Amino acid sequence: MFASKGKKLLQGLLVLLVISMVAAGCSSNNTEKSADAGGAQATKTITMAWPRDIGPMNPHLYNPSQLLAQSMIYEPLVSYQDGKLVPALAESWTLSPDGKVYTFKIRSNVKFSDGTAFNAQLVKKNMDAVLHNKKLHTWLGMIPLIEKTEALDDTTFRLTLTESYYPALYDLAVVRPVRFLGEAGFPEDGDTSKGIRSPIGTGPWVLSEYKKDESATFTPNPYYWGEKPKVDKVVVKVIPDAETRVLSFEKGDLDLIYGEGLISYDAYKELESTGKYVTKLSEPIATRNLVLNTMNAKLADLKVRQALSMGFNKEAMVEGVTLGLEEKADNILPPNLPYANIKVSPVKYDVEQANVLLDEAGWKLPSGGGVREKDGQALELELMYDKADLTMKAMAETLQAEWAGIGVNLKITGVELTVYIQRRKANEFDMNFYSTFGAPYDPHSFMTAVLQPGYGVSDTLAALPMKAEIDKKIKEGMATTDDKARTGLFGSVLTTLQEQSSILPISYIKQMAVYRDNVAEFKFPSNRDEYPLHGIEKK
Amino acid sequence: MGVYIGKRVLAIIPIILFSTLLMFVMIRVGPVDPAEAYLAAAHIQPDDEVLAAKRHEFGLDQPLLTQYIQSVGRLLRLDFGHSYLSNMPVWGEVAQKLPTTLQLASASIVLALVVSIPLGVLAAIYKNRLIDHVIRVFAYIGACVPVFWIGYLLMFFISVKLEWLPVEGRGSVQHLILPSITLALWLIAIYARLLRTTVLEELKEAYVRYARARGIKERVILYKYVLRIAIAPLITGLGINLGKLLTGAIIVEQVFSWPGFGRYFIEAIINRDIPVIQCYVMLSVCVIAGSNLIADLLQLFLDPRIARKGRASQG
Repeated sequence: MFASKGKKLLQGLLVLLVISMVAAGCSSNNTEKSADAGGAQATKTITMAWPRDIGPMNPHLYNPSQLLAQSMIYEPLVSYQDGKLVPALAESWTLSPDGKVYTFKIRSNVKFSDGTAFNAQLVKKNMDAVLHNKKLHTWLGMIPLIEKTEALDDTTFRLTLTESYYPALYDLAVVRPVRFLGEAGFPEDGDTSKGIRSPIGTGPWVLSEYKKDESATFTPNPYYWGEKPKVDKVVVKVIPDAETRVLSFEKGDLDLIYGEGLISYDAYKELESTGKYVTKLSEPIATRNLVLNTMNAKLADLKVRQALSMGFNKEAMVEGVTLGLEEKADNILPPNLPYANIKVSPVKYDVEQANVLLDEAGWKLPSGGGVREKDGQALELELMYDKADLTMKAMAETLQAEWAGIGVNLKITGVELTVYIQRRKANEFDMNFYSTFGAPYDPHSFMTAVLQPGYGVSDTLAALPMKAEIDKKIKEGMATTDDKARTGLFGSVLTTLQEQSSILPISYIKQMAVYRDNVAEFKFPSNRDEYPLHGIEKK
Repeated sequence: MGVYIGKRVLAIIPIILFSTLLMFVMIRVGPVDPAEAYLAAAHIQPDDEVLAAKRHEFGLDQPLLTQYIQSVGRLLRLDFGHSYLSNMPVWGEVAQKLPTTLQLASASIVLALVVSIPLGVLAAIYKNRLIDHVIRVFAYIGACVPVFWIGYLLMFFISVKLEWLPVEGRGSVQHLILPSITLALWLIAIYARLLRTTVLEELKEAYVRYARARGIKERVILYKYVLRIAIAPLITGLGINLGKLLTGAIIVEQVFSWPGFGRYFIEAIINRDIPVIQCYVMLSVCVIAGSNLIADLLQLFLDPRIARKGRASQG
């Protein structure tokens, strides 16, 4: 009897296995074929990977809505391209002499993906929906300054600010929150902060198929006003693991890997070394800097900061840690950004001079060597980094080893991202990595970080004798409508900061792209948050 | 039997309460503020005013005791609230993801039992022979190698090099094979060894000698009498290992892009999405406690000596 029970149990288990397999099979009536890059010969499909589900695609909110999907579906009034602002949904604009009133001429031939017309009234409706949730968006400098939004007629939209603020147009070029949802996408009460009905935008793509946490398929928007996309489909597969993304690409399931941090530097080099794929690096998009906190008495001394700056081999560190995929940086902001093209004298790696400077600053090496001392205090400093960022970690370890050679004891502390942000906000660190934001946020976002506390820069500069002067120039630069004057003011701020060595440029961060040779017309987008899918082709 | 089951089910309640308290304390002891984590995830500068508004929205500005009582109250009503991150009802999201995880876990359990039972029996029958050594080496490796690494190896050889199966994703039977094997491998390794030991022990028992003396065939002794009893510890082991299986599923889901509950939980931890974490912990406690109960009952059913012992001690 018991033997038959055992047999029955085994049979039961086998049936269960078959059921679970069949259950898996039943749910296979999906886009498997179309999601497969290999099987996409008839329709031109680009398949790419993304670490997360694309989210609710709310143009006015952040995570879990992903920038990738938001930038494909929705469009801005003005767009950032190659360092300049160019017309997008607004075909032109004017600015009042006091720099407070922007008047936009709205493109008249634009339709949403549901066929309804885009007009100035909808610009206002969207702007007002964003302003309804103002607190959440104050990080974007323009938002708290908005006094009035007006739709003067179907094609004229007026934005009035409380004060002159030149980055307003750059803020309008960002991917979120100021992009435009069609009327039918709004909830009944118009409050998009609680959610949207449907992702209806004016952008080149529409979401045509969606399997939450698995994949999203975008097809061209039939009503798109601009140049039509050159492929029939973009399939975004949700692949959370970086190694899996690489294996999936090697298998042929993906055509393109693009997006920050999507694969490791090692994996990029590995794929490059096969010679089978196209690998590309963008121009610098941002600078990875090291911030030396002048509020620390030891770092308040310019000579100590200069000694640290020349006391490590930056080029070797960047090459070694990033496998050459980042580039040694001499400027705090990449010079290809607006108002950032200043001339700087690169700091030379000079251990001897670094030792001289530390000696001059009064930090003497004890007779047996080791850590320098002054007034009975050792030259010990702490460098905080985000422990999930392996590049930061490796750089911190390199600096620790390099500076030990000039008698500086560097303690390196890896912390969780949220703790990192907390400590940065509270200015509780001696040193910290600081990456600039990139286009279209910089240089004004960097200038704001220098000006206002809480971003991990301003507080660290507080002990500089010319901090008040720097702040004044930034305020003037932000407010002026004179482009030349701003170039001079920002150039002067950046030059002073470079000379003061409290922000040490380390490396220029670049975008990486890996794709198959049947992908054509790939071009890195100028806007860091956008994706190169509009003009892309498949042979 | 009914009273026994009733008692065991009631015993789960204090376990759930204790685990919710433990989880509540642990999240609060950690240095990360969920409101800050939310803003960090959204790449929003955590301005004081925005932070305060988010804390208020999440109910984190209330006294700890109030927060705990409220959260227990909600749990008792099986209301897990809304996810901080997606603002969607947690239960709805879980209901969507749980079957996907269960599909993977059940396929792995069945695979583990179907493969490990013959392996264990073979190893016992051919004790200290080549086949036994091979199975034991396999078991050592299977039990020691990290789950994610096995996953990558399978992907690399089976999917990329041989192109037999898809690398990742969900949708067809083929998609289920590699994740199930990855998740089942350590269970197979443990069970094969466990079964080998118990079969060998049972073979030394008096009833086996008696059966042999009666001239019953070895095959009958093994399959009809020994195996039935030797399987019982596997069932108990399954109850105990289910917790580990759930943790394994988290990794396997991440590696194979399997859109299940485990992946949802990882994102919740990173983002300190407390309602989701609470739901996961409570469901895990229920699943583990429930599976232990089922395992005990199954054992009772498979090995009547246990029931007899129970009755004897009661008598």
